[in-house]
Amino acid sequence: MKKSLFKNKSGYRKVGTASVSIKPTAADHSFNVLVDVFLAVLLVIIAIPLWSTITLSFRPNDYIGNNLQGMFLAPWNWSTSAYKALLGNQGFILSFKNSFLILIGGVASALFLTIPLAYVLSIPSLPGRKYLNMLIIIPYVFNVGMIPSYLLVTNLGLIDKLAAVFLPGAISTYNCLIMRSFFEGIPNELKESARIDGATEIQVLMRVILPLSKAIIMTIGLFYGVSFWNDFFHAMLYLNSNSLQPLPILLRNILMASGMNEYVEVNAFGDAPIAAIKAASVFMSAIPMVIAYPFIQKYFTKGTLLGSVKG
Amino acid sequence: MKKHFSVLIALVALLAFVAAPVFAQGATEATKAAGPTTIELWYGAAITEAGPPPSDWVGFQIIKDKLNIDLKLTALPSNESDQDVKIQAAAAANNLPDLFMVRRDVLTRLVPQGLIAPVDGLYEKMPVRTATHYDAVSKNHAKFNGKTYGLADPGSIIKNEGLLIRKDWLENLGLSVPTTTDELLNVMRAFTENDPDGNGKNDTWGYGSFQEINNYEAWPGRRLEPIFGAFGVEGTWNMTAANAGLSILKPEFYNAMVYLKKMVDEGVMDPNWLAYKKDDFRAAWKQGRFGIMREQNAAFAAQSNYAPFDKNFPEGEWMIIDPPKGPTGKASVGPYTANFRLYAISAKAAKEGKSEKIAELLEWMASDEGYYLLGWGVEGVNYTKDANGIPVAKNLPNADLAFSAPGGQTVTQLRNMVFYNGDIELYARYPKYITETSKKEMSALVVLRDMQTRTWTPAIGSDTLPIPNADLKRFYEQGLSEFITGKRTLTSENWTKWLDEFKKLGGQDWNDKGVAFAKENNLLN
Repeated sequence: MKKSLFKNKSGYRKVGTASVSIKPTAADHSFNVLVDVFLAVLLVIIAIPLWSTITLSFRPNDYIGNNLQGMFLAPWNWSTSAYKALLGNQGFILSFKNSFLILIGGVASALFLTIPLAYVLSIPSLPGRKYLNMLIIIPYVFNVGMIPSYLLVTNLGLIDKLAAVFLPGAISTYNCLIMRSFFEGIPNELKESARIDGATEIQVLMRVILPLSKAIIMTIGLFYGVSFWNDFFHAMLYLNSNSLQPLPILLRNILMASGMNEYVEVNAFGDAPIAAIKAASVFMSAIPMVIAYPFIQKYFTKGTLLGSVKG
Repeated sequence: MKKHFSVLIALVALLAFVAAPVFAQGATEATKAAGPTTIELWYGAAITEAGPPPSDWVGFQIIKDKLNIDLKLTALPSNESDQDVKIQAAAAANNLPDLFMVRRDVLTRLVPQGLIAPVDGLYEKMPVRTATHYDAVSKNHAKFNGKTYGLADPGSIIKNEGLLIRKDWLENLGLSVPTTTDELLNVMRAFTENDPDGNGKNDTWGYGSFQEINNYEAWPGRRLEPIFGAFGVEGTWNMTAANAGLSILKPEFYNAMVYLKKMVDEGVMDPNWLAYKKDDFRAAWKQGRFGIMREQNAAFAAQSNYAPFDKNFPEGEWMIIDPPKGPTGKASVGPYTANFRLYAISAKAAKEGKSEKIAELLEWMASDEGYYLLGWGVEGVNYTKDANGIPVAKNLPNADLAFSAPGGQTVTQLRNMVFYNGDIELYARYPKYITETSKKEMSALVVLRDMQTRTWTPAIGSDTLPIPNADLKRFYEQGLSEFITGKRTLTSENWTKWLDEFKKLGGQDWNDKGVAFAKENNLLN
């Protein structure tokens, strides 16, 4: 008989399928309160820098006060000059566009390459599977570093192309191994039954495995997406044309702005306070990921394969 | 059949994958057709966050028509360490651009690898540029083993900072300008305790600062050099022939530390000074937090930089003062050195015969046409000339495209390659203006000229002296911070003990190497 550990609405813990209930004790309540307080404090600690960045991005030019006071600045005193300056800047829009291209191209190519590799590695009867796994794990453990990668990208003619940002990292060994483990968890009976019905391996992958793997695909897709969206180093290294610069590069330049431009009469974004522009650019570059995450979050916790194996 | 077909597809894909690098390499080795010489230039942008010159920038066409050069521009990252990574990665792949800006540290690593071409023979091919940009100090700056490997363009203006004090606060409290360290301390106390801005709040401090450290202005950094200058220990190095060596090893350094500790203990220094970054420091003086600071002329007085202070405090006024004299009568705003922007030519470009074309390009940049185009843009579009021939941002059909407006920033991204801190630039860069709120006449150029008349300590070449290893640097900075914050008690015994440890860790070796280098390169005064 399965034990259920879920509380019902009245706070009673149901044990087994019988109607025996355990009343929560005072210690249980105290513990719950302690956990709630701890989580609330943690939430405040996490929220403070986020809120500080948001209020800084709306700070007007004539603001007098310190950063702490700025966090309590009334919204009707906020200024949108920093956002107007950024959204009116062609360079910022272009960088956003480049980042989206890298994101879409990167996630598409990464999943296109990772899924078949993970599936193949998950087949127990694959000849040379052990050898293939080693071939993949050894470079993951012993990273060759930047220079060989740069030489490879140069020799492939990818310098100054957007593909240089995502193609070298299109297969993440870590993500591939996670996906492989997931595919290994799919019952073999499902694959066997498809093969018996005459399906090829590609058909098994496309029609049996992938429909059951939405959770892992969305999760790994998100991992890749965040990585490509935030990738500064590869863009800085491989992209020379300013028309290809993605958002992290522009963001870095904006954040370094006041350190470099002491001799400039105006900053490149007009009269908005430079600190507000920095905060606004940080906030705006994080928005796409923040928006996407809640839609994908359900796939992290969704159960899989409920009832797929019968008998 | 289907199985054979799948195998065939897999084999074709594998073949294509293997063949790709071969075709990629072949594409890069295509024979060069006759036509303009392509020169790839990696430049340091004047405004890091603004975009590059647009693809239809008139400069590209002029350079192509007049010099037969197809100029390909790439802006280097704004951060120096990112610049270094990009350049060194390209160097490792033997893929350096033809002409590129590079820091001296990186250049010293590239030269022994044979990746950089010597440029001694190019000076005579660029007579106009050499006359304005390259003097003996500049030619010496990138000299290794008797040959020059970089063209050292004048960098930022020297002696362009000063000690400033709130004149209105002095008047409100009936105080006179401090001239000694004792008087300075009294004024700082008054600014902190006596409500100089008259707002009824205890929200002001005497001195404002932040840690701005570089290899010739070690901890506590540039903003406190006027204090350390009063004790004759400004800058990392003492560059006098009689007393060459690390300032920290001089006995007067302890006296300077005692004075600084007093400032901190009495609470006359803005307590956030250890946490401030440059932006925070600048926001703080614009918010009236402190009344004495060392600041840079344009950061203080340029129109957009002064505007927030003017709006917040229309009655407020800063004045430049002499640095305070210490117990032995010494005073200094701080050390100054000649800083340069180094441009190097790759050995690959020299082998391809591009050195002469690069010299032509640089010489054109120094001509009137190149100077004004790269410095200010197109006359009538980005600037007009006043009666004295100085470029100004007036009477333009579209004010947004003025060289000083955000819209005009992209076309002047290469101005650091043509400016040499001449009069025209300074008058154009720092025009007089009337502040919006208080209607004061301000000029960053007047401020600069004033700042340059104050007492400075020459330390040319001190930025090229050996730098300490990371552990020693950390020990140095952390130890001094601990003395000032009270974590270590500042007594002469403790100080001597700490210095002994510093010397043992490598401080003495650093000192000796620095002195030897300075003597070898005739850097001592």
